[in-house]
Amino acid sequence: MTWNYSKKTTELFMAAVSGAPGTHLGEIEDADGFGEHGSISCGDALRFTFRVERHPTDPRLDKIIEARYLTFGCTSAIAASEALCAIIEEGDFTPINALEITNQDIVNYLDGLPQAKIHCSVMGAEALEAAVFNWAQKRGVDLADLGVDIRHDEQEEGRLVCTCFGLTEPYIMRKIEELEMKTIADITNAIKAGGACMSCHHTPGGLQDLLDKVNGSRPTTMKQLPVLPMARAPKAQPPAEMSPFKFAKKVEEVIDSYVRPQLANDAGDIEIVDIKDTKVYCTMKGACANCVGSQNTIKMLVEQALKDQIDQRIQVIEV
Amino acid sequence: MTIIYMDNNATTRVAPEVFEALRPFLTDDYFNPSSLYEPAHGPAEAITAARRTVAKLLGKARPDEILFTSCATESNNTAVFGTIAANKERSHIVTTGVEHPAIFSVGEDLQRRGLDVDFVPVDLDGNIDKMEFVRALRPDTLLVSVMHANNETGVIYPVEELSRITKETDPSIVFHTDATQTVGKLPIDLRDSFKNVDLLSFSGHKLHAPKGVGALYIRRGTRCRPFLLGGHQEDGRRAGTENVAFIVGLAKALELAMARHDEDEARILAMRDRLERELVARIPYLEVNGRNAPRLSNTLNVACHFIEGEGILYQLSAQGICASSGSACTSGSLEPSHVLRAMHIPFSAIHGSVRFSLSRYNTDAEVDTVIEVFPGIVDSLRRLSPYWDVKKNEPRPEAMEMLTQTEMP
Repeated sequence: MTWNYSKKTTELFMAAVSGAPGTHLGEIEDADGFGEHGSISCGDALRFTFRVERHPTDPRLDKIIEARYLTFGCTSAIAASEALCAIIEEGDFTPINALEITNQDIVNYLDGLPQAKIHCSVMGAEALEAAVFNWAQKRGVDLADLGVDIRHDEQEEGRLVCTCFGLTEPYIMRKIEELEMKTIADITNAIKAGGACMSCHHTPGGLQDLLDKVNGSRPTTMKQLPVLPMARAPKAQPPAEMSPFKFAKKVEEVIDSYVRPQLANDAGDIEIVDIKDTKVYCTMKGACANCVGSQNTIKMLVEQALKDQIDQRIQVIEV
Repeated sequence: MTIIYMDNNATTRVAPEVFEALRPFLTDDYFNPSSLYEPAHGPAEAITAARRTVAKLLGKARPDEILFTSCATESNNTAVFGTIAANKERSHIVTTGVEHPAIFSVGEDLQRRGLDVDFVPVDLDGNIDKMEFVRALRPDTLLVSVMHANNETGVIYPVEELSRITKETDPSIVFHTDATQTVGKLPIDLRDSFKNVDLLSFSGHKLHAPKGVGALYIRRGTRCRPFLLGGHQEDGRRAGTENVAFIVGLAKALELAMARHDEDEARILAMRDRLERELVARIPYLEVNGRNAPRLSNTLNVACHFIEGEGILYQLSAQGICASSGSACTSGSLEPSHVLRAMHIPFSAIHGSVRFSLSRYNTDAEVDTVIEVFPGIVDSLRRLSPYWDVKKNEPRPEAMEMLTQTEMP
């Protein structure tokens, strides 16, 4: 997977990381609009802020005059953030008009993005939307009244479809519609859903079903696959004449009363890690832990003691 | 622009000596080694000699225990699926959470097919939890597969000890190790320290042979069905016309690695340690992944908190430096490295992880260049990061808790 970014994308990225004049890196203090998208666990996050020139009487006519971003993300995420700010500052946008800027505008500004990086442009559009909602709240503008659909609850209320990136059914369905997505790959490229463990691709109610629901084809009716019988349960058998509990107790007793005192003479100790069948797993502690002769000690002292006092079949394994 | 290649755990440059050794089999000696006429003798003999060389260099293994394959992934798939096919009465497999995808994904796939697979966890440094390993072994355990050293972090696993514990528990459990990163680098003696290892995989292109050739050691008496069917080659254990030239190249590369080992190893280790020391000293909030575990001398995996690896690689590449990252944006999927996640490395660091892996062809001057440019790259991206306080040059107060966040919120 080599890089196939457009010239524009790499130029914007290199300008941003070198702090060239005219770039939009930063955060506006007491911003009029503040929006975030993404998180550190997902691998990219954008904090977007803008300042407006306030209209004396009608806040709906505020003009965005400055836009800034801080981005944690890859080359194209940073370039997309630059593009977003540039589009806004170069245009003459009121916050409400700015809602018309789509991720496609960002892609176009960058002279295209690789398919797998489309989600970087979506992140920009989402952060912008969040920032405009934030502005509306601060300025007392009722966006719903203006016919803007504010579905801020869909993330909390919907059924979780992609658990890796925490995306819900209503959100994914809306995005399928808005971005005219046709395939699972489209969804993953744009909003990352289904891009990690991939288990939501073809499950009932998964991405393919959502695509079919939105795009109107027949939902797949998958038969539940038969669950294959799992491996046989372990059948460890302690010596027939003793219960596993009693056997373990007995091993402990012998080690406490006979082995430990002898090891203590050399400032050493022993710990039982596990017992399976007649196999006793031990680890040497203290001075014995680094002793080159520990393997011999285990065989000559520990194993022999257990054999003599409990059962000839016992085998001691050093861990 | 001159290239500084520090991605040798991904692949390596073909050694000139190797290229010279294999060249005749791409030109004049092109005959199929299975053919009977006189000219085909050369290629057939070359394979026999290569097999003898590889066997000898892995600790006097027998030539008939070496199977040539197309890559380590094929070797791993053959080992796992071949063992399962030959032993129908058992169905439990033990492996680790940090294996290369050629084992890890196979394990996940086997789970879907109804087999029982346990992934033994590792600690914060990437060391395997030995107690958990012991507990995972069961009476119906068929196969244990533990890599010799990890490709991302370079952490070395105690294969000698784990194979002994396995065989002492039950000699009929098959023990496999993926030694792709260690053959030619670490001592491997299949008659001594690795006497409890039944199957061992590796490939040529990690040790200066070409891509497209690998090998699988199958200890005599180990039950393992062929994975590729359709021919009598390799004693019927791997069908397909032998890649004569590359097999010759693999043997030559291994010979070279062994002959130059002590000299190469000392030089590479010194370069790696200097790179590590200098980067740690120059960059705040930089961690060395696996720092407290035994590690391969050529590998350095650093995590730069609060920036994304792809932007680092891009800027390194702009200066001609080739490295790799475990971040989501560089993985081909959208998921960050499963190895670093298994080590409970926080997300703030996984996405900013960068791996430098050296070889005998790296120089001190190249290390100097990386030491010089890397801190500036980290700095340039942190200035853009919403989690970073540029003035204090440390994470913002609200981001501090992310330094330990290892689970999705």
